[in-house]
Amino acid sequence: MSAFILRRLIGLIPVLLGMSLLVFTLVRLIPGDPAILMLGERATPAAIERLQAQLNLDKPLFLNLAAFQHSGRVGDLVDSQFFAFLGSILRGDLGQSIFTRVDVATELAARFPATFELAVGGILVALLIGVPAGVVAAMRKNSLADVVVTSASLFGVAMPIFWLGMLLIYIFAVHLGWLPPSGRLSPGVSVPRITGFLILDSLLQGQWAAAWDAIRHLILPALALGTIPTATVARMTRGAMLEVLGQDYVRTARAKGLSTLRVTWRHALKNAMLPIITVVGLSFGSLLTGAILTETIFNWPGMGKWIYDAIGARDYPIVQGGTLFIAAIYVVINTLVDVSYAFFDPRIRYG
Amino acid sequence: MRRSVWIGALAALVMVLAFGPASASAQTLIYAQSGLPVTLDSAAAQDGNSLRPAYQITETLVGFEPGTTNLAPALAVRWEANDTSTVWTFYLREGVRFHDGTPFNAEAVKFNFDRWNDPDHPYRGEGKHFAGFEYVFGGFKGNNVLKEIEVVDEYTVRFHLTDSVGFFPAMVAAIYLQIQSPTAVMADPDRYGTPEVGSVGTGPFKFEEWVIGDRVVLRRNDDYWGEKAKVEQVVFRGIPEPTSRLAELRAGAAHIAVELSPEDYPVIQRDPNLTPVLQDGLNIGYVAIHQGHKPLDDPRVRRAIAMAIDKEAIVEAFYAGLGSPADQHVPPAMWGRSEKITDIPYDPEGARRLLAEAGYPNGFETEFWYMPVSRPYFPAPQPIAEAIASYLADVGIRVRLQTEDWGTYLSDYLEGKFPMYMLGWSPDYPDPDNYLFTFFGPRAPDALGWNDPVTQDLLIRARTAPDVAERAALYAQVQERVHETVAQIPFAHNNPLHATRRGVEGWLPSPLGASEPLQLVSVP
Amino acid sequence: MAVNDHALEGVQPQPVAGHLPKSRSPWAQAWRRFRRSRSGMVGLAMVGFLVVMSLLAPIIAPYDPSTDRNLRARLNPPSWEHPMGTDELGRDILNRVWHGTGISLRVGLLAVSIGLVIGSFLGLLAGYLGRWVDTMIGWLTDILLAFPSVLLAIFIVAAMGPGIFNTIIAVGVVQIPIYTRLTRSMVLSLREQEWVLATQALGAGHLRTLFRHILPNGLTPVIVQATLSLGTAILDAAALGFLGLGAQPPAPEWGLMIARGFAYFAVAPWISLFPGLAIIFAVVAFNLLGDGLRDALDPRANR
Repeated sequence: MSAFILRRLIGLIPVLLGMSLLVFTLVRLIPGDPAILMLGERATPAAIERLQAQLNLDKPLFLNLAAFQHSGRVGDLVDSQFFAFLGSILRGDLGQSIFTRVDVATELAARFPATFELAVGGILVALLIGVPAGVVAAMRKNSLADVVVTSASLFGVAMPIFWLGMLLIYIFAVHLGWLPPSGRLSPGVSVPRITGFLILDSLLQGQWAAAWDAIRHLILPALALGTIPTATVARMTRGAMLEVLGQDYVRTARAKGLSTLRVTWRHALKNAMLPIITVVGLSFGSLLTGAILTETIFNWPGMGKWIYDAIGARDYPIVQGGTLFIAAIYVVINTLVDVSYAFFDPRIRYG
Repeated sequence: MRRSVWIGALAALVMVLAFGPASASAQTLIYAQSGLPVTLDSAAAQDGNSLRPAYQITETLVGFEPGTTNLAPALAVRWEANDTSTVWTFYLREGVRFHDGTPFNAEAVKFNFDRWNDPDHPYRGEGKHFAGFEYVFGGFKGNNVLKEIEVVDEYTVRFHLTDSVGFFPAMVAAIYLQIQSPTAVMADPDRYGTPEVGSVGTGPFKFEEWVIGDRVVLRRNDDYWGEKAKVEQVVFRGIPEPTSRLAELRAGAAHIAVELSPEDYPVIQRDPNLTPVLQDGLNIGYVAIHQGHKPLDDPRVRRAIAMAIDKEAIVEAFYAGLGSPADQHVPPAMWGRSEKITDIPYDPEGARRLLAEAGYPNGFETEFWYMPVSRPYFPAPQPIAEAIASYLADVGIRVRLQTEDWGTYLSDYLEGKFPMYMLGWSPDYPDPDNYLFTFFGPRAPDALGWNDPVTQDLLIRARTAPDVAERAALYAQVQERVHETVAQIPFAHNNPLHATRRGVEGWLPSPLGASEPLQLVSVP
Repeated sequence: MAVNDHALEGVQPQPVAGHLPKSRSPWAQAWRRFRRSRSGMVGLAMVGFLVVMSLLAPIIAPYDPSTDRNLRARLNPPSWEHPMGTDELGRDILNRVWHGTGISLRVGLLAVSIGLVIGSFLGLLAGYLGRWVDTMIGWLTDILLAFPSVLLAIFIVAAMGPGIFNTIIAVGVVQIPIYTRLTRSMVLSLREQEWVLATQALGAGHLRTLFRHILPNGLTPVIVQATLSLGTAILDAAALGFLGLGAQPPAPEWGLMIARGFAYFAVAPWISLFPGLAIIFAVVAFNLLGDGLRDALDPRANR
C-alpha cells in the first residue's frame, strides 16, 4: 500500500515539471508585458526598454544561445528566464510580485486560507443540502419532492455561477440587506492571525462576534460556489440510495419492523456514502481551483481572483507561482482520492 | 412534528440573518475605492488606489488648497525662483518629524529626490521604477531638467535646472513626489511600501496594517504638524465593481465610495442615507484617429467622423448629466483654452457628403478600439464605444469594435496598431502643458501618426515662455491647429461621481484625483 | 464554470458486446429506446426549439447589432413592447437573446468538435499504439487536467486575443483531455477482444482495424459525452464572455450581455436576468438530451 502511494507521488513529479514549463510558456505568449503596465498611460519606448532591463525581462526565454556562443560555457546557455524560474522554484523561492514587490509565498499564505474557507463552505452547502435532498428524493421516488429535487439538480448544474452570484448579491445584499455583498470580514472587525483561517482563528480566540461576521460574509459566495456540487451530490445520493434501498438486507431490515428513519440512516445511507465521498473529494479539488468567477463577483480575497488579476497585469511570478501551487494541490487531492478509493474498495489492485 | 422542525430551522435562520454586522467604532473612516494599493512607496506607484492612501502617510513639498488645484504650502512653506526660472529655492517647514522620529530637513528632501532621480541610487529598491517622477521630470538623471539639488542649510533646499521651467512648483506638487523617511527607506529599500513594511512619512496618519487582499489601515498621527485628524483610523478597502462599492456603501460597510457609475446617480439621490458628491473633473476623454491608416490620413474623412458622432446625445445618455461634451482638449476649468473654437456639429448628412467628396460615397471599414477598463474620463467605455460605432454605421463607416487587456492596449496604441481608439487623461499637475504636450508632443507621431512641426514648435515655445499670458496664447494656438486638422476628437470632460454616507463631513475630493486631506473628514 | 469531469462518472466506456454488429439496424433499436426516455424526449424538443429559433432568426427578423441603438428608450423595464426590457443602448433584449441563440449553439458545437476530434485522435493513438506514445499522451493529459479549466481557457484567450473564434478554440482545448481519456480506455478494452484480434489475424492493417472496427464500436460513449459537454462548452464560453474575453460587442452573446448588466444591476436587473435564463435553458436542453442518449445507446449504463 505505501509503495503504491509512493509510486503515485513520484508520478506527480513529471506532471508538475510539465506544468511549470506550460505555465511559463503560456504566460509569455500573452502579448504586452509588465513594464508597459507599470508605466501606464505614460509609457514611452525608451522608458519601457529601460524598465525591461531592470526587471530582467530582456533575457532570452529558454536558452541563452548568444551568451553561450560568446563564452562557450554551458552554464551561460541556461542564463535564461525559464531556468532562473525553475532554479528558484527548486530552492523553494516563488519570487516576488513585479508590481507590489511582495513575496509570492507571503501572499499565497494570506490568500490560500481564504480560498480554502470558501471551498469548505461550498462543500458544506453541497453536503447539507445535497445529501438530505437526495435521500428524500430516493425515499419517495416519483413523488412531488422527488420531481422537485431532480429538476432542481438539473437546473443547478446548468447555472452560470457568475449570474447566480449577481442574483444572490442583488436579492440578499442589496434588496433585502440581510447579508454583506462582498469581502471576507467587515472593515471595523479584525482578527489577529493564527492560522489565517478567519472563522477558525476567531473561534480559537473566543471572538464570537468576529466569527459570526466572517460566517455571514461566507454564506452567499459559498452558496454560489456550492450550487454545482450540491446538484451533483443530490443526484449521486439519490442514485446510490435507490440502489441500496432495493437490496435484500435493507428490505429485510424493513420487514423486521425497523422504523423507516432508522433503516435509512443506519443501513442505506451508510452504504451509499462511498460514491458520495468520492464526488465530494473530487469536487473539493475543482472548487479550490475553480473559484475565479465566484471570487471575482464577491470580491473574495482568494487565489483565483489574485491569479486572474495577475494575468491581466502580466505579473509573471504571481501567475507562475500561483498556478503551480493550485495545480500541485489539485493533483495531490486527486491522488488522495484515488488512494482512498483503493483503500476502501478492496477490488482495486494497488498497481 | 417534522414540520415543526422545519419551522424551527427557518426561525433560526431568520434570527441568524437578522443579526446585524459587527459595527465599526465611530472613530473609523471606511473608504471604498476601486482597488487596494499596489505599493505605498508613492514614487513607485501609478494609480490613485495607491497614491490616495500613501498621501495620508507621506506628504509632498508643495500641496494644494483642499478641493482645488491652487498650489499651497505643505512641507515647504514658501519657494522662489531666480530671474530665469532656472534655480528654484524651497524653504522647508521647521520642527517636523517623520513618524519614526527622523527629523524632516533639507537632507531628507535631497535624499528622496536623489533616490528618484538616480537609477543607480543605492537605496532605490530592487525592481522599483519611478515612472511618475520620470514622466514629470522628462527622464532620469543626465537626461532630464534636473541638474543638481543643493542643501543650502538645514531647512533650505535649492534645485538647479538645465532649462527655465516656470511651473516648477506645480511639478514638485505632483502626487508621486511624497517625501519618505530616509531612515525607513534605508532600513529595507526593497520591501519599503509593501504590506509587510508599509511606509513612513510626516502625514496626518501613520501606517498601521495592510491585510493582503482585504484592507489598509492607518492610524491618526497625534504629533501632526497641521490640523490633527478628526477620526482615529482610516480603513481603505478595494472593491473593483462600482455597483459593489455602492452596495457596500448602502449596507453601511463604507463611509465614502468613490468613482461610482453615473447610471447609479438617481439611486444615490433617492437613498436618504447617502449624499452624492460631484467632483470637478479636469480629465478629458478623446477619440483618437491614427493617420497611418488609410483613409484616415484624409482630413475630410476625419472631419466626417467627427460630424457623424452625436457627442451630445451620447454624453447625455451615459454621463447622467455629470459630464459635458468637449470641444477642445484642455478642460474649461483650466487656462490655455481657445475662444475661437466652436465644436464640429453633429451632421450625418454633411458627413456623408464629405465622405463622398473624399472618394468614399459608400463609406469604408476600419477598426475602433475601446478601453477594457473604465477610467474617470470614460465611465462606461464599452457602451459608449458601441454608441459611437452605431453613429458611424449610420453614415456608412463600419467599424469593428475591438478591445484587449489594458496592458496590451497601452502598448499597442503607441505602435500605431489602432486605426481609431478611445483614451483619455487625468492630469498630474495643473498646467495645459500636462495635456497638450502629452497628446501632441513627441508622442504624436506614434500615437496619432501625426508629425506636425508647427504644433511641436508651439509646444516647445509654450514650455519655456516665462509669461503665463504668452503661454496661454500658444496653447490656444495648439488647440486651434488640432481642431482644424481634426488630429484627435476631444469627446467629453467628466465629473466623477462619488458618494458618502449621510453625516460624513469635511470630505473634499481632489480634482487631480488622489490628493485628498482626509484629516478634515469626520464620521457620524 | 462547470468543471464537469464528474459527468464522466456515468459514462464509463462499456465494452460493447463482444460480437459484430447485428443485422437488425442498431439505430432503429436505439431510437426505440430513446423514445421511451422522457428526459431524452424533452431534451430533444428543447434542443429542437433552440435550433429552429436560431435558424429562423436571420430569416424572420434580420438583425444588425452594429446599428441597433435607441438612446431615448434606454433601460426600459419589461413591457408589452419589450417583453424583456431594453438595455443601456435602448436595444430590445428579447431580440438580442433570440439572435444570441445561434452564437451559443455554434460556439458549443465547434468547441466540442475541436475537443472531440483532437482528443479522440490522441486517445486512439495512445490506446492503440501504447508504449511511449501512450506515456507521452498520458503525461500531456495529466498536465492539462491539472490545470484548472477556467484558468487554461483564460490563458489561451489572453494569449490569442479576445474574440469569438479564440473562445471556441480555448473552450475546445479545455475539453481535449476528457475525450483522450475516454477514447483511450475504450480502445484498451476493445483491442484485446477476440473479434478485433481476429480481424487483425485476417491481415487487416493498423489503420483499418482502428478506423473500421474499433472507432465505430466505441463511438457510443463519445457521442453521449459530446452531448453532455455541449452544455459545459456553452457555460464556459459564457464565462469567458462575462470576463470580457469572449465575444466582442455589439454581438448579442449571452455571457457578454450578463456582464454588461452587472454595471446596471441596481437600476435595470433585467439586462442580465434574461440572458442568464437563456443559458440555463440551453444547458438543461443538452443535458437532458445527453441523458436520453445514454439511456438509448448505452443500455448497460442504464440504472
